[in-house]
Amino acid sequence: MIFYRTISVILVLHCVALAGAEAQQTDSSTVADSLLLLQLQRSMQQAAATPTIQQAPAAPRSTLSTNPDLSAIGDFRSSYVSVGKRKIDLYLNQLEFQVSSVVDPYARADFMFSYGKDLNTGELAPGLEIATLTSTSLPYQLQLALGKFKPAFGKINILHPHAFSFVDFPKLTENYFSPEGMFMEGASVSWLVPNPYDFFQELSLEIGRIESNASLVRGENGQLSYVGHLKNFFDLTQNSTLELGFSGANGPNQTGFSSTMGGVDLTYKWKPVQYNVLQSFTWQSELLFSNVRLGETTAAKTHGVYSLAEYQFAQRWFVGARYDYSQYPDDVGRRDVAGTVLFRFQPTEFQILALEYQYTDRNYDRNSQGVIFRIIFGIGTHAAHQY
Amino acid sequence: MMNKRATLFLFLPVVCLLLSSSALAQLKVVTTLTDLQSITSLIGGDKVEVFAIATGYQNPHFVDPKPSYILKLSRADVFVTVGLDLEIGWVPPLLNSARNSRIQKGGDGYVDASVNIPLLQVPTSASRGQGDIHVFGNPHYWLDPQNGKIIAKNIFDALVRVDPDRRSFYEANLKKFNETIDAKTREWTEKLRPYAGTKVIAYHNEWPYFEQRFGLQIVDFLEPKPGIPPTPSQLLKVINEMKRDHIKIIIISPYFTTESADMVARNAGGKVVTIATSVGANEKIKTYYDLFEYNTSQLLEALR
Repeated sequence: MIFYRTISVILVLHCVALAGAEAQQTDSSTVADSLLLLQLQRSMQQAAATPTIQQAPAAPRSTLSTNPDLSAIGDFRSSYVSVGKRKIDLYLNQLEFQVSSVVDPYARADFMFSYGKDLNTGELAPGLEIATLTSTSLPYQLQLALGKFKPAFGKINILHPHAFSFVDFPKLTENYFSPEGMFMEGASVSWLVPNPYDFFQELSLEIGRIESNASLVRGENGQLSYVGHLKNFFDLTQNSTLELGFSGANGPNQTGFSSTMGGVDLTYKWKPVQYNVLQSFTWQSELLFSNVRLGETTAAKTHGVYSLAEYQFAQRWFVGARYDYSQYPDDVGRRDVAGTVLFRFQPTEFQILALEYQYTDRNYDRNSQGVIFRIIFGIGTHAAHQY
Repeated sequence: MMNKRATLFLFLPVVCLLLSSSALAQLKVVTTLTDLQSITSLIGGDKVEVFAIATGYQNPHFVDPKPSYILKLSRADVFVTVGLDLEIGWVPPLLNSARNSRIQKGGDGYVDASVNIPLLQVPTSASRGQGDIHVFGNPHYWLDPQNGKIIAKNIFDALVRVDPDRRSFYEANLKKFNETIDAKTREWTEKLRPYAGTKVIAYHNEWPYFEQRFGLQIVDFLEPKPGIPPTPSQLLKVINEMKRDHIKIIIISPYFTTESADMVARNAGGKVVTIATSVGANEKIKTYYDLFEYNTSQLLEALR
C-alpha cells in the first residue's frame, strides 16, 4: 500500500514538474519568438550602417555539445597485508565507465557502470552503480532523481571510491553498509529550504529498495527503505567553510525486522582563494548510530565514528590521517579501531597516486597492518564532483 | 471576523503588487568572473544586481563549486559564463543543482559570453598530452578590450530577453560602453605603441588576446605545458632564451606564486611584472576599464 502511495506521489510530482516547465517554456518561447523577430529586423536595419563583427565558426561547438560526456576511470592497486593468504598483491581494483548528458530541457541522465574486483573470487565482475534521471526544472526549488543512486546518508556515502581522498572508505561505511557504501533503487527528492538566515540548507528524502548491505536488505513484499539528510552549509570566511549534516535511515534487515540509523557529519574546509591550487586543509568527521531489531524484544545498539584530516602542502602534494572506530550493526561485541596515514601525489586532475598505511586493531580477530598503493587514472569528460 | 477577512482580501492584491514590482526592480545576475560582472553592471546599471562567483585574484580554472553559489544561482534571472570550457570544472555541478530552468543552457537567462568572439589558438587536434588545452580555443578572450564589446552585446541580448521593457535603457548603456571602450582602447594601444613587438615571457598561456591587441610578443612560458607547473629544464630553457634574445620581462598573474619567475628573472637579468587577469585583482581595479588602465600602466613602467 505504502509502495503504491509512494509511486503515486512520485508520478504526480513528475507530472507537475513537466507541466510547470512546459507552461514556462511556452510562455517564454512566445516572448522569445517576438523578440527574435524584433532583433532580426533591427539587425537587418543596422547591418548596412555598422560594420559586422568578425564571427568565429560556430559549428564545432554545437556538434560537440550534443554528444554525451563519456569517461573511463581505472583504479589499479598494489598491496601488502600482514594477515591472510595473499599478503602481497597487484590488481586492477575497478574500472568505471560514465555516460552523462542533458536529456531534454527538463532533465539530465547519468549512468555509471563498473567492473569491480569481487571480494570473494578476486575476479572482476560487472555492475551498475548509477542510473538516474534528474530533473532540472521542478518548481519550488525541488529536484527529483529517479533510478539507482547512492543515497545521501552522511558525507561519504554519496562519493564513489575514486572521488575519496583516502584509498579505502572509513570502517563505519564498510561495517554498516559495504566497502563501497549504500546503493538504492527508487526516488530522491531534494529541496533548497528557504530560511531567514539565507544559508544553504538542503533537505533530501529518498525512498526505494536498498541493495542489500550489512544493515539493510532489499525488502520483499513491498518493504521499502527510507533515507533522509539535512545539509547545512556556511561560508565562514572567503577561505573557509563549514558543513553540518544530519542523516537518518530506516528499512528492513536480514532478520525480517527493521534497522534504524542516525548520523551526524561535520566538515571544515580551508583553501586560500588566491592560491587555491597550492594549499588546502580539510577536516571531516562522521558519527553513526544504529539500532537493529533482531527479534520481537531484542535489538543491537551500536555506533561508529571516523575523523580525518588532509593537508595540501604544495600544488600536487597532500598528506592525511584518519582515525576509525566502528562496531558491527548486528553484534555489539565486535569492533574495529584503525589508524591510517596517507600520502597523495596528483600530477594532474586525471591521474592520482596514493600510498596509504593502515593499522587495524580488532577485538575478535588478529590485528593487522597494511600498505596500499593506488593509482587512479581517467580519460574522457567526467562530470565534476560536488563540493 | 468578516471584517478581518475582507481587509485581508483587499490587502492581499496590494502586497502581491508590491512584491511583484519590487521583484521587477532589479534583475538578479550571476556571473562566473568579475570581468563579466563589471560589464553587466555597466550595461544594466541600477536595474541589475550582479554577483560574481570567482574573485579577481583567483585562478578561474579552479574554483570550488560551493553550495552557497547554488543558492545564488537558484534565484538568478541571468547567468553569464565565459564558456569555451574555462569553467568546466565548477559550473556544471552548480548549474545541475541550481533548480532554475531560466539559466540552464538554452534558457532565456543563459549567456555564453564567448558567442561571436573571434577565437585564437583553436586546436586542429586535441590531446591531454598537450596539457590543459581548450578544445574550443583559448578562453581568456576578455583580455582584449575590443572583445569586451562582443561580451557586452551578448549580455545586452540576455537582459533584453528577460526584461524587454527596459530595452532602451540597456541600449543606451551599451552604446556608451562601446564608445568608451573604443576611445580608451585607442589610448591604451597608443601608450604601448613604442614597444610594439617587444618579446616577453609569460607564466601561463592566458595572454594571446592581450598580446594581439597591444602588440607584445610572448615567446615562451614558464609552464612547460598549460597547467603543468614549471620544471627545472623548462626554466633553464627560458633563462637561456631570455639571455640570447635580450628579453627583460616575465608577466605573471596574481594567483601564481612568483618564486620560479623571480628565479628566472634573477638569472637572466630580467624583471617580473604581475598584471591582472580580472577586475578586482587588486584594489585599484574596480571596473573593466581599470583592468586595462592598470595593466598597460604596469607594462609601460616595466618597459621604460
